[in-house]
Amino acid sequence: MSATIHGQYHGKAGPLFSLYFKTAFLTLITLGIYRFWAKTRLRKYIWSATAGDGDSFEYTGTGLEKLLGFLFAIVVLAIYLGIVQMALFYFGLNLFVEPRNQIEALAQVGAIYITLLAVLPLLLFATYRARRYKTARTRWRGLRFGMDNGAWGYVWRALGHGFLSLITLGIMLPRQTFWLEKYMTDRTWYGDAKFEQTGRWQSLYPGLKHVLIAVLVLVIGMTLGIKLQSPVLAGTSVFVGYIWLIVGGVYYRIYAFNVLTRAKMLDGAVTFDSGARTGRVIGIVLTGILAIIGATIVGIFLMGLILMATFGLSFGSLGALFGGYADPGDFNAASGLVGSIVIAVLYVALILALGGLSLVMITQRIISHVVSSVVVANAPHLDHVRQRAADPGADAEGFADALDIGGAI
Amino acid sequence: MPTPKALLTPWTLAGQSEVEAPARYFDGETGLRLDVDLTLDVPAQALILLHPDLPGGVQHWPLAALRMLADQARTDQLVLSLRADHSYDSALIATGRLTVSDPQMVQDITRLCPDLKRREVPPGTARRVVTRLGLAVGALVLMIFVILPAMAGTMAQIIPIDSEVAWGKSMVRQMERILGGTEAGGLVCSSPEGDAALEKLTARLTGATGVEYDLNVSVMDHDMVNAFAAPGGQIVMVRGLLEAAETPEAVGAVLAHEIAHVEHRDSTRGALRAAGSAGLLGLVLGDFAGGTVAVAMAEWMLNSSYTREAEAKADTYALTMLDNADVTAEGFADFFDSLAEIESIMPDLPVYMSSHPQTAARADAARAFAATQGPTQPLLTPAEFAALQSICD
Repeated sequence: MSATIHGQYHGKAGPLFSLYFKTAFLTLITLGIYRFWAKTRLRKYIWSATAGDGDSFEYTGTGLEKLLGFLFAIVVLAIYLGIVQMALFYFGLNLFVEPRNQIEALAQVGAIYITLLAVLPLLLFATYRARRYKTARTRWRGLRFGMDNGAWGYVWRALGHGFLSLITLGIMLPRQTFWLEKYMTDRTWYGDAKFEQTGRWQSLYPGLKHVLIAVLVLVIGMTLGIKLQSPVLAGTSVFVGYIWLIVGGVYYRIYAFNVLTRAKMLDGAVTFDSGARTGRVIGIVLTGILAIIGATIVGIFLMGLILMATFGLSFGSLGALFGGYADPGDFNAASGLVGSIVIAVLYVALILALGGLSLVMITQRIISHVVSSVVVANAPHLDHVRQRAADPGADAEGFADALDIGGAI
Repeated sequence: MPTPKALLTPWTLAGQSEVEAPARYFDGETGLRLDVDLTLDVPAQALILLHPDLPGGVQHWPLAALRMLADQARTDQLVLSLRADHSYDSALIATGRLTVSDPQMVQDITRLCPDLKRREVPPGTARRVVTRLGLAVGALVLMIFVILPAMAGTMAQIIPIDSEVAWGKSMVRQMERILGGTEAGGLVCSSPEGDAALEKLTARLTGATGVEYDLNVSVMDHDMVNAFAAPGGQIVMVRGLLEAAETPEAVGAVLAHEIAHVEHRDSTRGALRAAGSAGLLGLVLGDFAGGTVAVAMAEWMLNSSYTREAEAKADTYALTMLDNADVTAEGFADFFDSLAEIESIMPDLPVYMSSHPQTAARADAARAFAATQGPTQPLLTPAEFAALQSICD
């Protein structure tokens, strides 16, 4: 057994794409009920593709428990959301009696929409529960991972840190990132071995350098543009600054991931390293977007051809291809119907295929890059880890499912 | 680590063994990996695991109990486990894992194990699903049909009248925008004679019955045959409806119906209830292709089931109001007849809200009521009615 373990990813584009396409189709024709099994199967694939020292990870979640958890969450959410939303709506109505002008009328509408905030604590609660469920259903070398109960502690911490980051215009963001990650990491287990997040939150600041540059470009460029009355300068700096901001955001996330991973420790002995690269991730996203755009164009072109052919509005050569010259006058209702059905089928297939492409070209390749960049040191210590008790998890990730967060996997 | 091969000799299976191969074994209790030697014993229908660190040095896995993990990314290996009677976090398989990479062994196991891909369902699963499903459906039904309407009813009673009026006015403005009005009040029609006729109409109807709200009745310039009641006594009659009516009594009947909605606080209650149930259906149907359409359809059906009851009540109230004011209900019946006509000619026309009870049935009810009425008096003079109908000109 080697002293260090390098993460490996064995997933392939073809099999995952066909798995996605198949399960998404089943989800569609079962009016969404199959989505719990679809998600389970995709996770089984991705987990099993991830390996360390040749040993694959395993996802032990089931579709059935997700369905049961979802039904459980429905009971809680129906009662909570129904009552809280109506109460907030009512108080929103009473805040302003008579809107005397446009601003007050807008404020009244705004007060009514504040009801949406009622869902925010639930979203955070669901985020923690979903992560806990995924962790509890993950195994490596037959040993379960696990996470302690602590969703409400996470909710109020996340609300507090988020508020602080908001009012300091993002200056406290590293503090939020670090402490929330530490809250979750410190409650995570591998078998009977506990994870620990060490390090300082200030060490995340260098990760914000590209965000800072982007903000400077935006502010200086726009100020100069207005002073010099040059719309070209202002426009260019807004464009450049905006793109830089997006890239800077990705850079921060990757930087934070690397720094936080290096400062993680398992059982006080096993350490980690991570060398994920921003350039690679952005390259993956860009090629993925290009592939999706390309597939969309091909799909629409194909549908257009069928439309022309079946509605008899074809060009001469195309008409000949489909059996003789077709006159615009020979409008054929039957073939028009067939054409509509074919196009409807193609349209659905295109939507499913685009989802699959995004999973295969973007999500899986990013996972692959990140997994491959992680290194575990002092691995022989892992031999002494022992199994932990199973976590029954009555609600699985039902709250996240019901609130539509977390995406396909 | 000692080479397992050397220690194996005593157990090597006498002549019966078909294939031998190495495999990785995890016992599910510790993280220690054992590189076991695997033998497929066909006559005994078992997979034999050999390693000196195993308890007794050997384990027998019955072929019938072997289960492989599903949807695995690596096709060059097989991850095996054993069927279990009970487990919390996996589909009834034991915690031990055996990873086989030897192609021949993988092929033989796949060929010889009948239930390799079978997935066990824990006993009592159907009961659990039905129970949970019943609870979820019960909670939703209880919320949507009992608790939310009851809460909305209470809140509609205790809301301060000032707030209700302010809210109603903003709803009327929204309506105006939907009908195509660009500025507030831009679509509202007014003429001295028309306003006077409308005022007389309202006064006649409310004089005998008495109304809790200060009514604010206005006419909007649009072809739609419709009328609305917003919270706080805000009533809008649309020009299309005034023109479609043949008698002042027909207009009066519609107005009485809308006054009934105001008095019953139907739109206040409806909006409060909608605020509560918004999103509940979205929770259930979730996010999949076509899900939005399903949510919209379910919401529409839910809404029309609520309103049908309110409409029937408003009709009854309107008939009483007409009777108190000595106005014949005949006009109500005639108006429904002409509506039924419009409906049959142009089924696509948004006629007086599709949520209203069947127009023919309503016409019959109004006519039956009219037959029981005593002497009645005309609501408006022909000249006043003409002024009302041309209020937008």
